[in-house]
Formats: sequence, structure tokens, C-alpha cells
Amino acid sequence: MTSQLQRQGSAAAVQGTGYTGDQGLPRLRRAPSSQSYQNGPQFNWSPASAGREKAEEGAVEPPKSLRSLPIPMALKRAICQVQQMHVPVLSSLQSWKRSKAKSLSRVRSYIGGFLNYITLWRKSLNKIGGNFGGGVQSYFLFLRFLVVLNFLSFMLIAGFVLIPSIVFRSVASGPMNITGPAECLQYDPNPQGLVKFHNYFLDLLTGTGFMESSYLFYGYYNNTMVAGSDFSYNIPLAYLFTAIFYFAFCLLCITARMGTAFRVAVATGGGAIGSYSRIVFTGWDFGCLGDRAMKLKQKNIIYQLQVDLEEERIKNKAATLTLGQKIFLYSLRIFLSLVAFGLIIAAFFSIFAATNFSQGKTGEVGVLGLFFEYLPSIVITAGNFVVPLLCDQIALLERYDPSITVIVALLRSVFLRMVSLSVLLFTLWNQITCKQRVSAEDCTLCHYNYKSYPCWETRVGQEMYKLALFDLIITIAMLVLVEFPRRMVVDGSSSKLAQWVGRQEFQVPANVLGLVYGQTVVWTGALFCPLLPVINTLKFVIVFYCKKITLFYNCRPATKTFRSTWATAFFLLVLLFGWSLGLLVLIYSMAQIHPSMSCGPFRSLISMWTIVPNSFYNLSQTSQDFLFYLGSQRFSIPLFLFFSVVMCYFIALASVHGKSVNLLKTQLKLEARDKQFLVKQIEELSRTLGVAR
Amino acid sequence: MGATASQLGKDVLSEYQELTFLTKQEILLAHKRFTELQSRDSRGNLNPRVPTETILTLPELKSNPFRDRICRVFSTSESKDGLTFEDFLDLLSAFSDSATLEIKSHYAFRIFDFDDDGTLDENDLKKLVNCLTGETDDTRLTPDEMTQLIRNILEESDIDKDGTVNLSEFQHVISRSPDFVSSFKIVL
Repeated sequence: MTSQLQRQGSAAAVQGTGYTGDQGLPRLRRAPSSQSYQNGPQFNWSPASAGREKAEEGAVEPPKSLRSLPIPMALKRAICQVQQMHVPVLSSLQSWKRSKAKSLSRVRSYIGGFLNYITLWRKSLNKIGGNFGGGVQSYFLFLRFLVVLNFLSFMLIAGFVLIPSIVFRSVASGPMNITGPAECLQYDPNPQGLVKFHNYFLDLLTGTGFMESSYLFYGYYNNTMVAGSDFSYNIPLAYLFTAIFYFAFCLLCITARMGTAFRVAVATGGGAIGSYSRIVFTGWDFGCLGDRAMKLKQKNIIYQLQVDLEEERIKNKAATLTLGQKIFLYSLRIFLSLVAFGLIIAAFFSIFAATNFSQGKTGEVGVLGLFFEYLPSIVITAGNFVVPLLCDQIALLERYDPSITVIVALLRSVFLRMVSLSVLLFTLWNQITCKQRVSAEDCTLCHYNYKSYPCWETRVGQEMYKLALFDLIITIAMLVLVEFPRRMVVDGSSSKLAQWVGRQEFQVPANVLGLVYGQTVVWTGALFCPLLPVINTLKFVIVFYCKKITLFYNCRPATKTFRSTWATAFFLLVLLFGWSLGLLVLIYSMAQIHPSMSCGPFRSLISMWTIVPNSFYNLSQTSQDFLFYLGSQRFSIPLFLFFSVVMCYFIALASVHGKSVNLLKTQLKLEARDKQFLVKQIEELSRTLGVAR
Repeated sequence: MGATASQLGKDVLSEYQELTFLTKQEILLAHKRFTELQSRDSRGNLNPRVPTETILTLPELKSNPFRDRICRVFSTSESKDGLTFEDFLDLLSAFSDSATLEIKSHYAFRIFDFDDDGTLDENDLKKLVNCLTGETDDTRLTPDEMTQLIRNILEESDIDKDGTVNLSEFQHVISRSPDFVSSFKIVL
């Protein structure tokens, strides 16, 4: 009885605020609202009947519709009870459906809870989001995505290449007969004699010595073909297809994720609604924990608002700029972008020179040798570190809008990172295939430079391995040698300079680009160093903890908040650039360069791709015919037509949705005008009535 | 009632699961946290209502500038003071990960509607902006900036040009800012 009273009381309280349940329920507007005021005890039936109405329409999922009603729990329970009273009226099929749906949802919630439990780093991510906001959290989500992607890729490679190779190496007899000039077949990565201990360490860093003759690199894999009566396994074919599927799998994952990101970004309609309402209505992060985070968040918001208002004033002023001032500004911008471009070109040239130099000094041993080995990585990392800093300074001088400044700086660093990697690869390729070389006879015998690169694939793999490792070393070194000392100096001293420098900010775009770069290196090297994905998984896990530590101990939240919506899509787009670079390398090395004759699974072939036609013609006639049919125009043209029709349908659907949104907007305007008109009429009427009395 | 018992009954629990967006673990955790708050004052009460001040000691709400509004909106008592366990679950459900955009925007609107009149007028917006930027003098916007800001907001969001932002206009803005779902979130 008490609970009943309570229910009515709470319902009355809700009605009193002017937020009746029907604000959330358009269907209820038909019901005369005066009735609910007249029969007090009955009014909580009206949402109940609405709930029943809903339940009848969508009998499959009544709990969901109940949940989404913005009314207190007591009312929801009442509705639920009414629904249960309603149950006997249902046919047996419907009640069966309902109970089925109930148990299904229970199972789903159980699975959801379990998935929630095993999700990687859930608590850490929540904590990061709470303290530093959604922008920084999006970086860590991206990092987690890459970790999972790399781990799954490793499973793919392990399942189809690594484990079969290990198993069949012991089973099968030695490598198949290879024909070719004897000079081309000389390759012995195993070190001779005693190896000093510190050499192991050097080998670990450079991927030579004992590392070279392991499953880490291309050269160690055999061209084993196991053929039994009912079972056959072709390692070269598996190797090739795994590489291709690895790329396809990554593309699929990125596209799926990008689809979500773009859907969200497009649904928000870009700049259709101004930024002020957004900042004010959605700017507060309710997940903020602690006074410090709250103060910072408030500071962020006020800063953002002031900057935007200031910007608007500047824009108004800029519209009245004189011609001379405009010319000066534009020429300044052109000049500065030329300077930035020059910087990037200089970075390329130094990478080019460093790679050539380092490849020329392969004979050196010891620490000096290590230095020469790492020279390209050092130059690339230094370039990636210095040039964006300078570009940021230049961007400040250019006086673009803040939003454009971010994009320009991002584009420049993306350009730098991607192209610096391609310069490195281009240099390597030139040396392997002896282009631009006077003594081209090195390459005529084996179709590649067999003297410097007896197993060139392994060499490229080592190069990528070094880049990946060096990236990690730099991250850790930055943490220990730069970020911690900076924080200590800033916190410890009260000098003006230290206060001006301040704690570092966590720069989301720069950090994400670092991740994209690391992933691109993995894609480029995956063909030559099949275990690179698992190395990268470990690397990213370490990076996660490093970045988390530096975030909590050394960083202050950014003064300029970072909107994650468009950026997520943009970062995935950049990741896709990296992927295409990797794909280009894959295609080129599969189709164009002669594989090493002395090592690897493709040692007896003209190009890696040759294995596919070779094994194709070994298939039975039926499967050959079927595959030919799939490739023929009889199949592809109808498929193409079908996809065109589907695409047209979706385009039409999208345009219809856009139109209906506009229609609804005008309807909203009209209704409001009606309302205003009616209110005016009521006022007038009451006034005239008052006068009449 | 089940809320006073140290543990929730199985059927009560499943009912809560059906009526909210929370998972079983979340409900149990919420119950644990709520009974901790409760133990400080009235325990023997039949339908315990924890006063707002006690609720606001929760670290998840303590530093939130909208804490009083949140408690007021979710309170079902007539004096709008204090939350029962079910009100508390309603709160957590609306702020949970899986709650829909619609329910989140509805409650956000009610939280921002300081005078409870069903529309966001100029005064509501002013209070809202002050909550966002902090109440002290050095963090507040200047009056000029404030008027400019409010004029801009109304220009952007007040589609029917009646000088206030109503629920559907508000939801229209919210539906176009996807960061909202991730930021309108309180997790115990």
C-alpha cells in the first residue's frame, strides 16, 4: 500500500514539473491531456496504455521500449505490471515469442557482461577518459584497436605459415633442387666460430646473426611442399596467400571502423550547426573525476569559448582588411609554406643520403657498425621529430584559423612520415636492383645485387625491424630522459622560464601519427619479416603503458580541446594511406623483383607471384574451369550491374532521408509559429473577455 | 522492500535489469555504493531516501558543477530532495554506456533547464554557461562576451525563433554532436 501511494505521489510530482511522460511519447499527444488532470488516480494509466500500445506493436522487445522512457522507475514498474496483466490475452505464439525474447536478451546481457569483463584495458581507458576527456581517450582506443589488429594478424600468420613451417621442417626432406649459377646460391647467415656475448645484444638490435637464421625473417622459411595422397601443403603458396589475406584483413578492419567513424561524422552534418551550441550543450564531460580535472575542464571550455568569440571578431575585422594588408598576408603564407616544403625536401634528401651511406658501410663491426646500421632509422626519427616542430612554429606565423592550422600541420607531418619511409624503400630498391649504378653487371647474373644482398628480402625485413625497434626505443627514451626530467624541473623550480615552459601537453594528433607510422612500417615489412605483427603487438602494449604513465605523471590536459569526431575518421584515412604504401611494396616485390635464389620459400621461381599460376595449373579441371568462370565477363558484368543497382538504391535512400530531415525542420518551424499564433489569440481573447466583464 | 536488505533478491534484480540499461554487475555495484551511503543515516526506514548532501559525497558527483541539478531531476520526492535507490538506478541508467541518445538528451535538457519550465531561455543559458566556466570572477565571461555568446547560441539552435530553445530543438543539436553520448556518462 505504501508503495502504491509512493508511486502515485511520485507520478504527481513528475506531472507537476511540466515534464509529463508524453513529451517523450509522440503517440500520446492524441490522448486528451485534460482527462489526466480530472481523474487523478487514473493518470498513470495513460503512459501504461502507451506502453501497452508499444508492446503490441513491437512484441519482440518490450523491455527496451520501457527502458527508453524518460520516467521514474516506479512508473516503469507500473507499466510493466500492466503489461503482465495483459499477457493472458496474448496468443500462445505471442507469449512464446515474448518468453523467447526475454531469455534471449538475458543470454545477450550475460554475453555482453562477459565481453565487457574480458575487454582489454577497460578500466584504464575509463580512468583516462575521466581525467583527460574524450579526445585523449580516442588516442588510446585507437592504440587498442591496433594492438588487437596486430594480434589477430599474428594469429593468421602463425596458423598458416609459422606452425606449418615448424612442423614440416622436421618432417620433410631438405630443400627442393634449385638450379642456378653457383654464385647466386651462396648464403650462410650462421655466424662462424665463437660469438661474444655482447654480439648477441647487437644481433638482437640489428636482426643479424642468430636472429637472421630464425623464423623471424623471410630467409629462414623453406620452399617445402608436402604432398601426400589425401593431404598436401605448399609453404610458398601459403606464405603468399597469407600475406595477401593479411592485407585484405587489415583493410576490412579499417574500413569497418572507418565506416562507423564516417557515419557518425556525416550524421553530424559537418558544420551545419555552429560550434557554440555544441560547446555549451555537449561540452561538459560528466565522466570527469576530481576537482583538478573539473577545474581544467572549466578552463578548457572558457578558453575555447573565448577563442571562438575572439576568432569571430577577427573574422569580422578581416572582412574589412585593406588590399595591401591582404596581399602581405597571402604572400607571407605562400613564402612560409615554401619554407615548410623546403624543410621536408631537406629531410628527404638527408634520409636518401643516410641510407646510401649506411648501405655502403655494411662491413663495419661493433658499436660503429651498429651506428651505421641504425643511421637511416636515426635520421628518419630525427627528421620526424624536428621538422613537425618547425612546421608548427611556421603554422603559428601563418595566422590561419585555429582549426585550419591543426589540419595544415597534420597534413605536413603525414606527408613527411609517409614519404620519408618511401624514400628509404626507394633507396633500398635501387640498390637491390642496381638501378643508377655504374657497375650494373652485379645484377645481370641473378637479376638482383647478389654481392651486397645474398638474401635481399631478409635485408629489407631487417631494415623494417630496426625501424620498428628504434621507434620503441625512442618512445621509452623520451619518457625517461625528457618527459620525467621536464616535469621534475617544472614542478621543482619556481623560475619564470620553467613556469613558462610548463608541463607538456598530450598532443593527440602527433601521437596518433606516431602510431600510424609504426603500423605502416609493419605493413611494409610484413612480407619480409612475418613475425613483425607480433613484435608490433608487444611494442604497442609497451607504448600503451608508457603513454599512460606519461599522461598521468607528466602531462597537463591540453589547453585546446580536441574534437574526436572528424579526427577519428581522418586518422583512419591516414592509416589507409600507410596501408596503401605497404600494399604497393607488397605488389612491387611480389611481381617485379626476382626473389633471392639462396634463401626463402620462393628460391626457385622467377617472381613470387609465379607460384600462383604454377599451382593453379596443378588443380583439377573442374576447379580450373570454375575459377576461370569467376574471372570471366559472364560473371563479372552481372555482378557489377548488381552492385550498381544496390548502390543506386542506397544513394536514393540517403537523399530521401536528407529531404525528410529538411521537411521535419520546416514542420517544426511551422508548428512553433502555430503555437505562437495560438498563444497570441488566447491572450487577445482573455483580454477582450476581461474587458467585456 | 528489497533495497534495505543487504542483498537484492533475484527477481528484483532481474526486474531492475529489464527496466534500466544497467548490467547485473553494475546494479549490484550501485546497490553496494548506495547502502554504504545509507549506513551513515537512517537505515531502518522502509523506503530509504538518502538526502542530496549525502549523495553528493560520491566522488563521481562531488566535483560535477551540475550535481544539484542532477539530483533534483532524478529525485521523485515532492520536495525534490534526496534519492531513493530506484531513483539512483534511474540516474545511473540514463548516464550509462548503453543508454540511447534520446533518453540522454531528454535528461540533459532537464538538467540544463534550471527553472523547470520546459524551455531553455536566456537565464537558463546564462546559468548553464556559468556552470561550464566556473562561478568565480576570474573564470567568468565578461557581460559583453556573454551576450554575444547567447545571441550566437540562439541564432544557431533556436529554429523557430521564439527566443528559447525547446526540447526538440535541443535534441536536434544533440543529435548532430556525436561526442555527446560519450561525454554524458557517469560510471561508478
